[in-house]
Amino acid sequence: MLHLTRFRTWTAVYGGMLFVFVWVTILAGVNTAADKASEESSTEFLHQNCLDCHDGKDAEAGLNLRGFSRDLSDADVMQKWVRIVDRVRDGEMPPPDGGNVEAPVAKQFVDHASHWIVDFEKQQFGSVGRVPLRRLTHAQVERTLHDLLAIDVPLTRLVPTDPRTDGYTTIADGQPMSHFQLQSHLTIVDAALDDAFARAADGPHSKPEKRKLTARELSRVDPLRRCREPELIDDKAVVWMGGVTFYGRIPSTEATEDGWYEFTVRASALNRPREHGVWCSVRSGECVSSAPLLNWIGAFEADQREKEMTFVAWLPRRHMLEIRPADSTLKSARFEGGQIGTGEGAPQNVPGVAIRDIQMKRIYPGGDIDEVRQRLFGDYGKLLMSDDASVLSDAKAKIDQQIVAFMERAFRRPVTQAQATAYTSLFHQLLADGESPLESLKSCYRAILCSPRFVYFQESVGELDDYAIASRLSYLVTGTMPDDELLQLAKSGKLRERQVLIAQTDRLLQTPGGKKFVERFTDEWLDLVDISFTEPDRKLYRDFDQIVENSMLAETRAYLNDMLEKNTSVAALVDSEHTFANSRLARFYELSSPVDGDSLVRVALKKKDHRGGIMAQGAILKVTANGTNTSPVLRGVWLSRRLLGQTIPPPPSGVPAIEPDVRGATTIREQLELHRDDQSCASCHSKIDPAGFALESFDPAGQFRTKYLALQGGKLVSKLPIDSSYVLADGRKFEDFQEFQRLLLADISPIAKNFVEHLLTYGTGTVPTFADRNTIDSIVSQCRDDDYGMRSLVAASVTSPIFLSK
Amino acid sequence: MSGYSETKRVHFNFQRRLHRRSMLRGAGVLMGLPWLSAMQNSFAQSKNELTSPRRLVATTIGLGLVSDNLYPQQTGTAYEPSRYLKPLEDLRDQMTLVSGTSHPGVNGGHRAEASILTATPIGSAGNAKNGISLDQYLAKHHGLETRFPSLVLSTGGNSSPSYTENGAMVPAMDSPSELFAKLFIDDSARKREIQATRVRQGRSIMDLVAEDAKSLGRELGGGDRDRLDLYFTSVRELEKRMAEAERWSRLPKPKVAASKPVDIGDPSDIVARTGLMCDVLRLALETDSSRFITLHIPGAGGVIPIKGVDEGYHALSHHGQDAEKLEQLALVEGAILARWGKFVRELGLVSDGDGKLLDNTSVFLTSNLGNASNHDNRNMPVVLAGGRYKHAGHLAFDRDRNAPLPNLYVSILQQLGVEVDRFATSTGTLTGLEFDA
Repeated sequence: MLHLTRFRTWTAVYGGMLFVFVWVTILAGVNTAADKASEESSTEFLHQNCLDCHDGKDAEAGLNLRGFSRDLSDADVMQKWVRIVDRVRDGEMPPPDGGNVEAPVAKQFVDHASHWIVDFEKQQFGSVGRVPLRRLTHAQVERTLHDLLAIDVPLTRLVPTDPRTDGYTTIADGQPMSHFQLQSHLTIVDAALDDAFARAADGPHSKPEKRKLTARELSRVDPLRRCREPELIDDKAVVWMGGVTFYGRIPSTEATEDGWYEFTVRASALNRPREHGVWCSVRSGECVSSAPLLNWIGAFEADQREKEMTFVAWLPRRHMLEIRPADSTLKSARFEGGQIGTGEGAPQNVPGVAIRDIQMKRIYPGGDIDEVRQRLFGDYGKLLMSDDASVLSDAKAKIDQQIVAFMERAFRRPVTQAQATAYTSLFHQLLADGESPLESLKSCYRAILCSPRFVYFQESVGELDDYAIASRLSYLVTGTMPDDELLQLAKSGKLRERQVLIAQTDRLLQTPGGKKFVERFTDEWLDLVDISFTEPDRKLYRDFDQIVENSMLAETRAYLNDMLEKNTSVAALVDSEHTFANSRLARFYELSSPVDGDSLVRVALKKKDHRGGIMAQGAILKVTANGTNTSPVLRGVWLSRRLLGQTIPPPPSGVPAIEPDVRGATTIREQLELHRDDQSCASCHSKIDPAGFALESFDPAGQFRTKYLALQGGKLVSKLPIDSSYVLADGRKFEDFQEFQRLLLADISPIAKNFVEHLLTYGTGTVPTFADRNTIDSIVSQCRDDDYGMRSLVAASVTSPIFLSK
Repeated sequence: MSGYSETKRVHFNFQRRLHRRSMLRGAGVLMGLPWLSAMQNSFAQSKNELTSPRRLVATTIGLGLVSDNLYPQQTGTAYEPSRYLKPLEDLRDQMTLVSGTSHPGVNGGHRAEASILTATPIGSAGNAKNGISLDQYLAKHHGLETRFPSLVLSTGGNSSPSYTENGAMVPAMDSPSELFAKLFIDDSARKREIQATRVRQGRSIMDLVAEDAKSLGRELGGGDRDRLDLYFTSVRELEKRMAEAERWSRLPKPKVAASKPVDIGDPSDIVARTGLMCDVLRLALETDSSRFITLHIPGAGGVIPIKGVDEGYHALSHHGQDAEKLEQLALVEGAILARWGKFVRELGLVSDGDGKLLDNTSVFLTSNLGNASNHDNRNMPVVLAGGRYKHAGHLAFDRDRNAPLPNLYVSILQQLGVEVDRFATSTGTLTGLEFDA
């Protein structure tokens, strides 16, 4: 009350003046004949309801609205204005104890301020576009070069990873450019061109090799020496379950040169447990302690009956395979001194894998030599590859034609005569300087691939032209350059047609690149790229292993692919009656229906399985925890931003956050209760924490739990029981995770909206802004009749004005 | 009085003094020796004329250091060592702890990692443009004296606090073995030949690409022109760097007695990772491969493998004054600081011209977070060692009204021979920190 009195006095003296000034500035250029009456009422609104608390140095949440900046080009200021409008719109501000605001008054304020912000943004869109000039990510450059040159050599491993902004590498504002980044780009380009020209010149890659390695060749050479290679038993190469590093290394599979290899393995189980087969991992590495890292290739479940499996992997030179039982639930043999003597494993009666043979074959997934030559030289391979440069002088026009064709593919659109000449002249100049035809062509391609027309998306302000649409769509769906069909449609000017665009999206999803759409998108949207970032504590979470982790990734990808294919409602993100699992994952999850075999199959879920929806999938549970324990706050923030579509602003800046004093609190719940006692923390935590608490039923490794576990003197002990009940921000209570799911399902439009926002962020290169809100609402409402089917949402998104303009 | 005049008196000017590359061409065989002794042996110049090169090693920590464990209760040199300082007691005379400083206007909690070495506020939205970082500023002005203008390193991931003048983050290297190869293992003759060809053709290629960036800028117009200008500048800058690198590639890389280290697989073992990286970067300094080095230790979610620690590092940093968490956090932070101290100590053992490597290296450690538990960017932890300062023990400023930390950056720049009196929001040099003659 005291505050209020003081405030009223202040209002009487200065308030009117200040506020008129604020709103005149706000509305300047928007509503030039600024509606005096609405200005007055808005003035009245802030006076009555905001400055009371948000004034001066001690303003609540550090938000001082006296003389608050109106420069919306300042991202910070913009963010604050949007938040003010949102909180008033949602009735969160002014708070219940801060005065009673009549709805129409608040609405008027929201309308006016919204109009101002939207108008400002539209003006900006008019001059720069929604999205600033966007670069291809390193991964996109890699795939584009693979397509352009018919090669397959991994390239992104040569350079630092692209930074992720709000989760995405595709966000233009987060893509730095300096000579460091350009150097990385050049490194990738040079590696690609080196590989392509080496192959075209019939270099070391020419002879595809194929070897059949018998069990004897797979096993240790000297049976008397203790080592880590398989041992020969009954004409099989045997590896027992055991903990020794690199046990199961197979030197005869060592790659003599970098390349893609296909391995066909025939193997069976030894001492198979009654309930399941012997799960084994297949990895590659140098398998020596000076190079200890192992690359994951795959896993299989060895069984009584021998079976044949095929694995494809990139092996750097000197890498070899390591194949071993790797199911952490299996009984493990003990070996002295980190080496395995022949015959030491068998008496210990542990499971093992017995390999009959391995066929190893060098493969070229990118294309054969003729294809590489075709991409590089077109129809003029003979000319260009001849040693006699003089023959070229007669063929200038032909060579130029090939260079221009290469340019048009690389730039993803036609080139003008002037652009073409600039690059073809370089070729002829180098030739004249005495370089060989191939060397000259390579340098010319190098220049083309460093052109900003290759590096950037060429999008002009306003509506995108057909070629820009082709690129946007192609990089979104397939992660690579537009193919011939798409470019042909662009040429004939058909890509702005809604039906054509939808049909193309459907078609692209079926291409090899399109089939990995879900994988690429969820790597960033759901942070799945970080799944191996922490390793669950082996002592606490004993059932977890690398096979489980990779099965979890496969589960989530398969689940979302299935949703996309069947146009399943996004309600299935929240809950469902099926998932995908192999026998290992089903066992880890303790699913009620049995699952056989090592391939992923669709499994019906019962209620007691607790696995409906992606929140309950191991991959999500693992990326939202740190390996040892869970935090409802971190999981809550993650779910709010990635799945539930709630905006969680960063903690207020300008004032230090309140430091929570959680001494004396024993559970995370008590800690957070103390935390929330502070009003300014509570405003966000009431939204963040519920989802986090609901997920407390799952441990950091992704298993369902009813009690917290802890280690005491090396032993696992159960501690306090899990309590996953909480209250949603709107006051609805839930008892456990399943009730939480049910509450979310009452209205799934926010889930649909969130999906669209993330898809458009990823696909256009910028986070949706305030001015995009209406369009996004309309995308979502178009799909209401389809029950917000995932495919419908994708189709509505790519045909929306947001996707079709810069 | 001010450090500025001190610097002037020394006449520390790289351009006039060094011409190092031309000397090295003749003295290639001596490359493996520490720089100064090589120079002195070859040219026998008088000590007065030849000042050792000055260097910077900045270590930045993503999750801060608990203030009460770092700073002594007392100010000045006669302090009772704090918990973290106990293992560093032998370095007391070589070290200044600065409390009560921060970057004016910088906030945003973790996001302020971007501002650690730039002192530039980028706002909690993180959208404002960043400025140049201390190390890159030095690299830009004096970096071409060495094979690598700067080294930007991390114990995990590519993120770094190093930014170019256009606000682009310099990606960090996080593999000690790759760093070792880059520093000490010569490229094959064939690779050097290819490199030479590329540089030879590079100029015409880069001319063409730069021209294309300009014309595309005209076609697209609007705000994109700025971004294409940036591309243009990057092309030009890269061209310059490539020519420089090519010249260096004709000189054999220095040879060291150490062998290539084995990287540590566990991403949570940041103490061991810090140690391994420090070992290689010490070799980089000894061989004068680079003079401006940044090592970033980002926060990690996982559990740091230290006895007595069973909660994730990031979770511990949000200790909320919980005694158990604080104790575990102190184990982690203490180990990081002790490892850093070991590095400082080792620099003090390596001869470098007329002194030790430590005398010629400003070894600086800080974090964007003064209090990680509440994401407070004020009262940043600051430790400065070596570098010929009159070390002042605990130099305390007002914890409520912080002194600008960029003032220390100005002091460091001056001590490194750069004649500037401003960096970002500085208001002068750091009061109370004097230079040794």
